[in-house]
Amino acid sequence: MKKNLFLIVFVLVLASCSKSSTQNATSNPDEVENTSVEWSIPVAEVLDGGPGRDGIPALENPQMVTAENSSILFDTDLVLGYKNGDDIRAYQHIVLDWHEIVNDNVGDVSLAVTYCPLTGTGIGWSRVIDGKETTFGVSGLLYQTNLIPFDRATKSNWSQILNESVNGSLAGKKADLIQLVETDWQTWKAMYPTTKLININNTGFSRTYGVYPYVDYRTSDSRFFFPTPKDPRLPLKERVHAIISDDSAKAFRFSDFDTANAIKDFFKGKNYLIVGNAKFITSFELDANQNNLDFEYVFDGASDVVVRDSEGTEWNVFGEAISGPKQGQRLQASQSFMGYWFSIPAFYTTEIYANSN
Amino acid sequence: MIRILFFVLLLFGCHQVFSQTCCSGGVPLSNNLGLPNEGKGSLTLGLNYDYNNLNTLNAGADQLDDDSRLRITNSILLNLGYAFTDRFSFETLFTWVNQTRTISQFGNENLSETQGIGDAVFLIKYAIPDWLGAQSVMHLGVGTKAPLGKSDLTTAEGFQLTADLQPGSGAWDILGWLSVSKGLGFRPSATLSGSFIYRATGENTSYLNNTSNYEFGNVIQANMGYTDQFLLFNTIFNPGLILKYRKASVDKVERSDLPNTGGEWVFVRPELRVQITPSISFSSRLEIPVYSYVDGTQLTPTLRFTTGLAFTFKSNTLNIIN
Repeated sequence: MKKNLFLIVFVLVLASCSKSSTQNATSNPDEVENTSVEWSIPVAEVLDGGPGRDGIPALENPQMVTAENSSILFDTDLVLGYKNGDDIRAYQHIVLDWHEIVNDNVGDVSLAVTYCPLTGTGIGWSRVIDGKETTFGVSGLLYQTNLIPFDRATKSNWSQILNESVNGSLAGKKADLIQLVETDWQTWKAMYPTTKLININNTGFSRTYGVYPYVDYRTSDSRFFFPTPKDPRLPLKERVHAIISDDSAKAFRFSDFDTANAIKDFFKGKNYLIVGNAKFITSFELDANQNNLDFEYVFDGASDVVVRDSEGTEWNVFGEAISGPKQGQRLQASQSFMGYWFSIPAFYTTEIYANSN
Repeated sequence: MIRILFFVLLLFGCHQVFSQTCCSGGVPLSNNLGLPNEGKGSLTLGLNYDYNNLNTLNAGADQLDDDSRLRITNSILLNLGYAFTDRFSFETLFTWVNQTRTISQFGNENLSETQGIGDAVFLIKYAIPDWLGAQSVMHLGVGTKAPLGKSDLTTAEGFQLTADLQPGSGAWDILGWLSVSKGLGFRPSATLSGSFIYRATGENTSYLNNTSNYEFGNVIQANMGYTDQFLLFNTIFNPGLILKYRKASVDKVERSDLPNTGGEWVFVRPELRVQITPSISFSSRLEIPVYSYVDGTQLTPTLRFTTGLAFTFKSNTLNIIN
C-alpha cells in the first residue's frame, strides 16, 4: 500500500511538471523587452519555427563588394535590388536564405530588406519608426509559415506579409514600404553594372552560402514544413507580384506579360502601371494625369529604362524619369512585393489579374 | 530504498533540469537499454542521469565557426527489469526530460525551455547462453516506445513548439534490439561486447494542434566495446571503452523529408562501473563525438555524460546466463 502510494505520488509530481517557458535577456540599455501577450493575429496559428529568436541572425550594414567580386553568384540566382541615387545594391537570395533580414543604411535611407524563404516574399521596410531608427531581427516565429520580424528597440513582433506590428508596444503600426526589385543576377547587373552586393566572404557569420537550405521547397508544390492555407487557383510556389490595398491583393503572373509588357490596371479605386517580362515585375500607382498617358515597353536588357510614355519621358524600373520632359520626377511605387502564390491569399483576399479581365 | 528513490526523483522533478530532443540529440533511449538478466525472479532497477550538450554547428561534416546556439538535454532515466526465467526477461525505461534552447546573439540571450515526462520503452528480451562458446551470451529483444510524453506543449504565450522541443514524440515506435558479449579466454576478467538497436518510428498525427503530422527519422545504433575488471580497495571496478555508431534518417513533416535533420555519428565512450555492494553498482560514462555528418546544417552533439546507479534484487546466482 505504502509503495503504491509512493508510486502514485511520484507519477503525479512528474506529470505536473510538464511545462515550457521562455526567457529573454538583453545587455543593451536601449532595448526593452516585450512583455505584451496581446496579438492581433490568432496566437494559435503562430508557430515556433525551430531556431529561436536570433537563431537566424539578421545582418547589419554588411560589407558590400562590386559586381566583379560576386563570387559564387550564378546569373540565374535571384537578388532583391535597391537604388538610392547612385548607390545601387543587390541583396542575394543565397545570403537572405540564411539571414532573412539585412539592416542597411543606403545613403540617407535606413532600409530593412526582409525576406522569408518559406513564402518567397522579399519586402523592403523603412527602419525609422516614430522618428527613431531601429533594426529588425528574426524572431524565430512564423505566422502562416511567414517570417515574423521583431524590432530591437521595443521587441515588438511584426508580420512581414501584413507589413504591420502584430504584438508589443508598436502593435497596429504599419511598416513604410521601400520599393525593391526582384530579378535574377544577370538582369540586375545588366541594368546596373555599378551595383554593389553583399560580400559573402565577410558577413560575420559562418554559413554555406550558395547551398539552399530547404532542398526542393521553392519548386515543390507538395513540400510544406508548416500548415498554411493552400489556394489551388495557381501553382502554390509560383512567384507572383502582389499589389496590396488594405486587406485585398491582386496577383500578377509572369505569364501575364507574355504578350503585353506594360499593363495599366485598376484595383480598389487606384490606377496602376505594371511592367514586366520573364525576369521581373514592377508596378507603380498612377495619378490621374499619369493615367492619361500611354506607356510603351522599351526595356532592351542593357539599361534600367523599362517604359517610355506618350510624352517621351523614359522611366526606369524604379519609376525614375531618366530622360524626357518629366526627367527628375518619379512614379509612385505601388504597395507591392514578390512572393509565392500561396502566401498571398493566406493573408489577403486575392484576385488574379488574368481572371479580372 | 523506495523512499530514497522517491525523494531523489522528487528533487530532480521539481527543479529546472535540462534535456533535449533535437537534431541528433534526443532522449537517450537506445543508450540506456540492456539491463542484465540476473536469473529467474531477479529484479533490476537502474536510475541514471544523462546530460547532453549540443553546441557544435555543422554543415555536413564541416564544423562552422558559430557557437551562438546551445541545446542542452537533461534526462532522468528509470529502468526496471524483471526476469521471468533465465532466458526471458522484461525491461522498461521511463524518462523525464528537460530541454533548453539558448541563443546568444547580438548581446541578447533567448532561452526556451520545456520539461516533462518523456516517452517510455517496453522491451521483451530473450537470452541465448553460450552461443559462441563458454562465457558468451546473446540477447534478442523486441519492444515499443510508447508516447507517454506530451507532444503539444506551447509557450506561455500559446505558440506551438516544434517537435524537437517537445518532451514526447506523440508516436509509437517499434524497437529491435540485439546484444552479444563474449568473455576472453586469455584474460578471464575481460569481455568483448556489442549491441545493435533499430528504431522504426511512428507518426505523430496530431502535430501542431492536429493540423499537421510529424515523424522522427528511423534510428540505427551499434556499439562495440571492451570492458575489463580490477580490484581496488576491495571493490570491483569495470572500466570500458565503447565505440558507438548512430545513424538517424531525416524527419518527415506532412510525409515530406524535413531538411536539416538526420545524420551519422561515431562516438568514443569511456565508461566505468563500480560494484559498490553485491547488489548496487555505480556507473558513469562520457560520450565524445569523433565523427559527425549531419544532413544540411544542424547542431550536433558536443558532449554527453551519463551517470547512475543500478540495483539488483533477488538475483539468482545459479542462473544459466551469468
